[in-house]
Amino acid sequence: MKLWQKAAAACAGILALVVAVCSAAMLLYARHTILNMSREQIRAKQRDLAISFSEMTNYYRLDTDTGPVRSSLVNYCFSRFADESSVLMQGGETVSSALTIDPSKWLDLRQTQDMPLDGQRTFEGRVQGRDVFMAGGLVHIRGEEYAVYTVADVTDIHRSLAVMGGIFLAVSLAGIAAGAGAVTLLMRRGAKPLAALSVAAKRIAGGEYQVRAGVTTSDEIGALAADFNTMAAAVQTRVDELTETAQRQRLFIGGVNHEFKTPLTAILLHTRLLQKVNLTEDEKAQSLSHIEKQCTWLERLTQKLLRTITLRQDIVKTPVPARELIDRVLSSTRQIMSDRGVTLLTDCDGSELLVDADLMQSLLVNLVDNAGKAYDPGGEDRTVWLTVRENVIEVRDAGRGIPPEALARIFEPFYMVDKSRSKKHGGSGLGLALAKQIADAHGAKLAVTSTLGEGTTFRVELPVG
Amino acid sequence: MKNRILIVEDDEAIASAVALSLQVAGYDCAVFDDGAGAAEALQGDHAYDLALLDIMLPGVDGFELFDHMQTYHIPVIYMTAKTDSASEIRGLRDGAEDYVVKPFDVQTLMVRIEKVLRRTGRLNTVYRVRDVELNSETKTVTKSGQPVYLQPLEFGVLLMLLKYKNMTVTREQLMTEVWGYDYVGETRVLDIKIHSLRKKLDLTDAIRTLPKLGYRLEER
Repeated sequence: MKLWQKAAAACAGILALVVAVCSAAMLLYARHTILNMSREQIRAKQRDLAISFSEMTNYYRLDTDTGPVRSSLVNYCFSRFADESSVLMQGGETVSSALTIDPSKWLDLRQTQDMPLDGQRTFEGRVQGRDVFMAGGLVHIRGEEYAVYTVADVTDIHRSLAVMGGIFLAVSLAGIAAGAGAVTLLMRRGAKPLAALSVAAKRIAGGEYQVRAGVTTSDEIGALAADFNTMAAAVQTRVDELTETAQRQRLFIGGVNHEFKTPLTAILLHTRLLQKVNLTEDEKAQSLSHIEKQCTWLERLTQKLLRTITLRQDIVKTPVPARELIDRVLSSTRQIMSDRGVTLLTDCDGSELLVDADLMQSLLVNLVDNAGKAYDPGGEDRTVWLTVRENVIEVRDAGRGIPPEALARIFEPFYMVDKSRSKKHGGSGLGLALAKQIADAHGAKLAVTSTLGEGTTFRVELPVG
Repeated sequence: MKNRILIVEDDEAIASAVALSLQVAGYDCAVFDDGAGAAEALQGDHAYDLALLDIMLPGVDGFELFDHMQTYHIPVIYMTAKTDSASEIRGLRDGAEDYVVKPFDVQTLMVRIEKVLRRTGRLNTVYRVRDVELNSETKTVTKSGQPVYLQPLEFGVLLMLLKYKNMTVTREQLMTEVWGYDYVGETRVLDIKIHSLRKKLDLTDAIRTLPKLGYRLEER
């Protein structure tokens, strides 16, 4: 059961209880009062009738006992005060009445037991399908006993009370319904932001990390929603980072897998050739040479791979004179550059660089080696320039250049602009990826600009200070 | 008629090993190290029975090259280091006959090549060594044009040796292929069949015994 439903149900319940109790109490009290008032009226009327009748009859001081005179006097006196509700009886016989009923059937006054002090008795109940209230008392006139009744039909009063009760009930029910409706509406509106939060949370759990709860209320729920959104944003950032890392790693592992499989396949195939086929001596020598080359290549690949993987972020930076760094690069690239017939020209100012010398050397050797491959073998004016100006190191060539579409990807592991040419130069596709990693570890920017047919410039910008 | 195989593989060491293995076994091979070159050459000579394509080729890759092969109705087997199922599915969905994943074994590749050639009705069913000719379709063997009767098991052994001509065929390979996986018994029966083949067809020096390895039918 939802919170708003619980709250609404509780409110409606309490409301119903209060209204029911109040209505019932009011209704009972009103009924009691009204009925009592009408009873009192009827009793008073009977009392007045009895007194007036007896006083008047006695006033005439009837001396005669003769029947007809006496009875007509009594009738006369009674009719002076009687109305349609009055009945006069003597000894079980009706003397005067406008009614068709005999009240002594329900209210027998000759029973003297339990007679109240004022001599008046009452009856209340159903008589011939009507609600009736009657009061009666005995009157003594010259030794004769008369019974005086006032009989009132109170059906209408009862009916009115029933109608009133009905109206009360209807109004109460309407009130309860309206109250419950209002509470439900209010609670529901109040709980709506919570539902929105819940939906957002479920969608985020389902992987839609970009979802936010659109709750803008200024109450506690609004504050909760704001916190929730902050949390969702943090989760999204983290998930994006993790996804990107995982993606990079997957590509890297895929690359490693591919790069290892090619030389392994070649080695395996040539080993089988040597094992199974009756090769000529020339063919044997060729197969062995293939195997040797592939093994050397695997060895180089493994080393570069290890460096790429094991390069730590907590490098040791020391101040190194630019000259010293350049000398180290020159000496470690001398052989390969002269093999290729490429000249390396260097230039530097007297600045000192705050770097890990071994790693920075490795970075620059990779860039210089890469630049050397930008020339076709045997061409003229093949020069690579390495310059240091304050905190900026540049490696420039005037070779064939890198196509714009390849420029964005050259730092990706195993990416090669021209795979077959790169392979001929012994490229692994890892050199520039390694350079980028070293630059990142230094907090340096590694950027490249290139124009097809004119050359390429790599620029390492070390952080100042 | 030898079956002609087109090989497009940018790694020279792999290409040379595959080509050499197929050539000694009796196939004609043409090797290209890039897709563009192969596509260009196809416009002139496209009488190939099958193409072995590397997928990761510089320039025009294996998948692109496949369209050229379709033009000339050349069945394709991919040789790939890509193990991800997406590229396998793409290769086969596009209509390639089969694929092998690097690193692979040449004899496995040869089995697949044979299957594809047979399926496409291009398999050369006549094998030759010296003056001996075996027709795997009609199950007949002739020597200098004269029919020679061989027992079924002898025929099976000779066919295996001819399929992998100049290549060592291990005793296990022969036993499994000719006698069947579930054969349990004396493997000396193999030596007996080899002996009778050598005698019937005068191939004593051509069928070489490689101790502990197997046999090799040599003709180079």
